[in-house]
Amino acid sequence: MDFELSDDQRAVLEAVDALLARHAGPARAIELAAKSAYDAALDTALDEAGFDGIALAEETGALEAALVTERVAGAAGTVAFAATALVAPLVAGRALPGPVALVRAAADGPIRFAASARTLLVLDGERARIAPLSAADVTPVHSNFGYPFGRISAAARARGETLGPASGERLLAWWRVALAVEALGAMDAALRLTVRYLTQREQFGRPIGSFQAVQHRLAECAVQIEGVRWLVYEAAAQGARTEAAACVAGLALAAAGHVHRETHQLSGAIGYTTEHELHVFSLRLLALRLECGGAGEPLRALARERWGAPA
Amino acid sequence: MEFEWAPEDAAYRAELRAFLAAELPPDWAKLSKDGPGSDAQLEFSRRFCARLAERGWLTQHWPAAYGGRDASAWRHAVLGEEMWAHGEPRGSQYMNVNWIGPAIMKYGSEAQKALHLPRISSGAVLWCQGFSEPNAGSDLAALRTRADRDGEVYVVNGQKIWTSYCNKADYCFLLVRSDPESRRNKGISVLLMPMDLEGVEVREIPSVVGERYFHEVFLRDVRVPVSARLGPEHEGWDVVSYALAYERVGAARYAKAALVLDALAEAAKASGRLADAALQERLAEARALCEAARVLAYRVIDGRAKGRPPTVDTNLARVAGTTADKRVGELALEVFGSEALVYESFAAANFRLSMTAGVAVGATEVQLNLIAARWLQLPKSGA
Repeated sequence: MDFELSDDQRAVLEAVDALLARHAGPARAIELAAKSAYDAALDTALDEAGFDGIALAEETGALEAALVTERVAGAAGTVAFAATALVAPLVAGRALPGPVALVRAAADGPIRFAASARTLLVLDGERARIAPLSAADVTPVHSNFGYPFGRISAAARARGETLGPASGERLLAWWRVALAVEALGAMDAALRLTVRYLTQREQFGRPIGSFQAVQHRLAECAVQIEGVRWLVYEAAAQGARTEAAACVAGLALAAAGHVHRETHQLSGAIGYTTEHELHVFSLRLLALRLECGGAGEPLRALARERWGAPA
Repeated sequence: MEFEWAPEDAAYRAELRAFLAAELPPDWAKLSKDGPGSDAQLEFSRRFCARLAERGWLTQHWPAAYGGRDASAWRHAVLGEEMWAHGEPRGSQYMNVNWIGPAIMKYGSEAQKALHLPRISSGAVLWCQGFSEPNAGSDLAALRTRADRDGEVYVVNGQKIWTSYCNKADYCFLLVRSDPESRRNKGISVLLMPMDLEGVEVREIPSVVGERYFHEVFLRDVRVPVSARLGPEHEGWDVVSYALAYERVGAARYAKAALVLDALAEAAKASGRLADAALQERLAEARALCEAARVLAYRVIDGRAKGRPPTVDTNLARVAGTTADKRVGELALEVFGSEALVYESFAAANFRLSMTAGVAVGATEVQLNLIAARWLQLPKSGA
């Protein structure tokens, strides 16, 4: 057991933080969101710096991929890094042409990054499928939940190269870990932003953040976020075991709802404006809760997996 | 980062489980229904701790010089997890081994070490903690129990409250105000007080939590030798801060909560209620909270294994632990429905045990204050 970053992990994170400081951040996310655009420049920068290959590289693996995914989410990156660099290589065993979008075969709803994706990873029951994707397969959707979305044609969801017998379970497990780690990055950023704002904002002659009623609610968010953090690092390091992946996704998406509510309530009216950066993270948290069957799905999966609950 | 158990710790867990299977009586669940303060459980715990001590396991994490085995913090964590997962058969003695012993090692005189440490590590002694008072609960520094120096003796007068296990305890880890002119956390001393001294009176406070769970301890002209003071006179706050840092993560409550939760899910399955998707989600969320509490506790153990002083990580772990504990206790009522009203039922017994989580060993609000100040670095609270 060791709950500290190694020197190598620290170096990876310093490198990605430096890259994200140049190419990402909530201000850029707001700019892109106004055009429902994908951040092709950030995507290229991450790939060229070698981060897309981190999960399968000799010196690094799933945990490092998860750590970098968390940073990308925390910097409000508008890129499909989680699917491309964490989920796809660990399910397919090789890098797939990015950006990658994740979809369930039967799902005709809006899918994150669909309009920019070159590869589709389809969850079809017990199997996963890899399909090339082109713009013709996708109908863009207008949304203000912080990511570009698009609907994917049934034909695109039905075609492609079918992977081996357990590939569906693997895809679902890594997808859940990815959702948890993205939620972690966004929750952490939302809480930091809120703490910073409430430390500056004064009412009744003192910073709002000095009121105990406010402090306790922020502290409760912190407890939830730190629980997700260490559980998702563990789940990634242990290869996304089915039960652990469902467990951490269930925890993270429940926490995401809580952190969304609390950071908005405590930030007051400024939190609803596009000028203030909270909405970038807080709305993404809700989008993550709606992905892959919704926030209740991993919890029910955990109950099935652990206790044999009926489907 | 490394999240796998070392092979020797995994092997130890297996050995420990075999030991528990052999040592815990078949009626252990019944025996423990009245809580750790009940006569039946106290008597059992005394025998059980002696058996643990025979194996060298009771205080294995202590230095060899004090009767321990220099075992790692992780190995000791395995012991704590398995004990809590089996209803904490050590009873009150987890206090002795987790923080009273270590506090004596750090601050004790040679004579105190020689007197107390061998008895603790052999499992032969019961302790209680004399911290809270009627007007000093969360605000511990408001304590007023006086210890007036009379030559080589302190004359102690005052009252302690909510004290667990003191009906059978041999010693009390007692906080007193040794400087009557002092305020707040100055002028406090720690006394290792024998409970059989004249003037010590214990009264049970009947409660809905369990038998002999809470007590008041009245101290009237109790003459405690100065040689029983732990650490420097008037500087007991440092001693107690050190001790509390160890206490706050001593109990692997999440392990017990996770086990109870598994039993609840099994019961729901047997009754057919587990088909209810909403109940599945609530049970699973409680499971996730137990898991979060586990990893946050591990993070604290990691710091201890590396010899670092405790940080705000302990407060995060504690809030997570009590949150999980309470959620599971509430689910016990939901899963069993009106059958949970029966005192002897599994649901009622576990609900009772979960009731004090969040209040015992420091209120959650105090933990949240510390997280707000130290982790989030929010401005100082004025209200």
